[in-house]
Amino acid sequence: MARLQTPIRRLLDSHLSSLGAATTVTLVPDAHYPYHPSTGMVTDPAVVGATVAFLERETSTDVAVAGTSEYVTAERTSAYLDLDDVLDRFDASLVDLSETPRTTETFTLGDQSVAVAVPDRLTTSSVIPLPTLRPTQDGPIAGGMRTLASHVDCSVAGGVGAAAATIAVDPELAVLDATTVYAGKSYAADTLLAGPTAAVDAVGARLIDRSVSDDPAIRHGLRTAPESIGVEGVDVTTLTARCPSGELPPPTKPHPAVSLAYRTYAAVSGDAVPPQLDGR
Amino acid sequence: MPPRVIDRVTDSSGLSVGVLGVGNIGTVHLQSALAMPEVTVVAAADAVPENRTRAERAGVPRTYDDYVELLDAESIDAAIVALPPFLHADAVSRAADAGVDVFVEKPLARSTEEAAALLDAADRGGIAVGVDHTLRYQSDMQGVKRAYTDGRVGHVPYASMTRLNDHPLGRPPAEDEPPAWPHDPDAAGGGSLYELGLHCFDLLEWVFGEVEVRDAVMGNSLDVPVEDAATVLLRAPETETTITLHCGSYQWEELPEVNTELRLEGIGGTISNDEFLPANFYASAARSAIENVTKRFTGAEPDVYAPTFYLEAHYDALADFCASMRANEAPPIDGADGRRALELAEVTYERAKTDGETETEHPEVLS
Repeated sequence: MARLQTPIRRLLDSHLSSLGAATTVTLVPDAHYPYHPSTGMVTDPAVVGATVAFLERETSTDVAVAGTSEYVTAERTSAYLDLDDVLDRFDASLVDLSETPRTTETFTLGDQSVAVAVPDRLTTSSVIPLPTLRPTQDGPIAGGMRTLASHVDCSVAGGVGAAAATIAVDPELAVLDATTVYAGKSYAADTLLAGPTAAVDAVGARLIDRSVSDDPAIRHGLRTAPESIGVEGVDVTTLTARCPSGELPPPTKPHPAVSLAYRTYAAVSGDAVPPQLDGR
Repeated sequence: MPPRVIDRVTDSSGLSVGVLGVGNIGTVHLQSALAMPEVTVVAAADAVPENRTRAERAGVPRTYDDYVELLDAESIDAAIVALPPFLHADAVSRAADAGVDVFVEKPLARSTEEAAALLDAADRGGIAVGVDHTLRYQSDMQGVKRAYTDGRVGHVPYASMTRLNDHPLGRPPAEDEPPAWPHDPDAAGGGSLYELGLHCFDLLEWVFGEVEVRDAVMGNSLDVPVEDAATVLLRAPETETTITLHCGSYQWEELPEVNTELRLEGIGGTISNDEFLPANFYASAARSAIENVTKRFTGAEPDVYAPTFYLEAHYDALADFCASMRANEAPPIDGADGRRALELAEVTYERAKTDGETETEHPEVLS
């Protein structure tokens, strides 16, 4: 974690005045499941820890880390990933956003009316999403916008919902943890990127070879043309060449057609259907 | 194994069976039993409604939400115990009260002490106890043992075994909440050493005879309450073979790829289980499927789970147990075998603790 303190300070120093003015800061890492941080499938707790440490050292604001109980309880994931230890060390707290009150807001995005129910914690505090660099199950970058959206109930699914959630939360900035990237395989990119959430997502998408223009989240979220996003301190072209560009592994649950085919074979032959292939 | 005091098989050839627990591995056993000639599945029990529905859909006539109710209500010859480990002792004790033989998923119990009590209860009830140590039934492992016994590489000074998977957390994408009990030492008895190592101990003694645990190191890649890796140094005195065993639950598994490796380094060369695996899983599975369909049309019995060789071993293990029950013989892998694997696991934990007089420090998750 110590090796990350200087890079985090460099990335956050310019935001110190606004972060210091906030009563609370909520960090929103990608902690959707207790995957080992060395895979790049979740935000490295060391990145979370270095960010918490910076804020505790440089500001007097209360810092919390948002957890999710979408698949596994936030407490269990935090314990398995050793986030508990980080939070204890710096006197920060874990907040399970699935258990906090929400406020509903409706606004128009493009030609769509979108309703979002946002945890109050995310609208009453300064927010920093800390996504990892990986794709989602349907292909695009998980990113800061979709990491925020995973905590927000939205009337529209997919990228538009992610953009709506981000507008509703209005994060201070995003810090993309690309210390390890996952895109079909893992790669130790040893990189952190910080900036406006949609812009950081756009750069991340480029790194894992996703089309920025095909992603409605980035399209709706960006306030500037993708090609005008400047990146300092990182050779994006070289890093893109090194980063993998694959997908997540296929779901464990088989495709319905595979299940049907196996059940048909079993019915004809008298063989048994393994539970992994039953699909029902 | 004490002599069986009562012949409970309901007729000269058939065996009526109840399945206690129809989660993942319980469903494998259930499907196996349903496909088995001369075996009739009369009932299944599971606390989870979806699991009972799946069992009913598979053709089980009656289901119960409590295995005690099943054992009280049904007249069965044998029970397949595929419950979480903390329920094995109670289930076997109640089966013993009902005079029902049992085939128990590994681990037989959470400790040798609990296994001893379980086996005492079985003795008192005069029931047979079989244990599902399936590696012995895998075709690749049988190939290794056959080549070794045939003396293909002569003396084997060194062997290594690795078994890795991702139980219970799984790999991406995240889908369901993993069960909590495998990470609870009170419920499961242990971590990777229990989940995978017990199978390996059983296999290694099957190949080399009795083994001794010389040293061990436990590992935790994540901060879970049980070990998710174990590395064990063993010695087989009879064959003068030194063995290293590594088992872990930290590696993503994408079926049909299964990370189970056994290598015997002999004077005359190497025997590896890889030699006995299908070169192309999908081609082999397709061939097995075609053969099974052909058998159906010629009136022959299918090779159950043949397209998925690692599940076929579960079928063969249960079929062997059922055959021994029908013949009124002792199970091929019995309670003593199950207890012995637990004994080796307990010695392994002790060796890991006493290494350097201090418990092995777990590495941090943080990078």
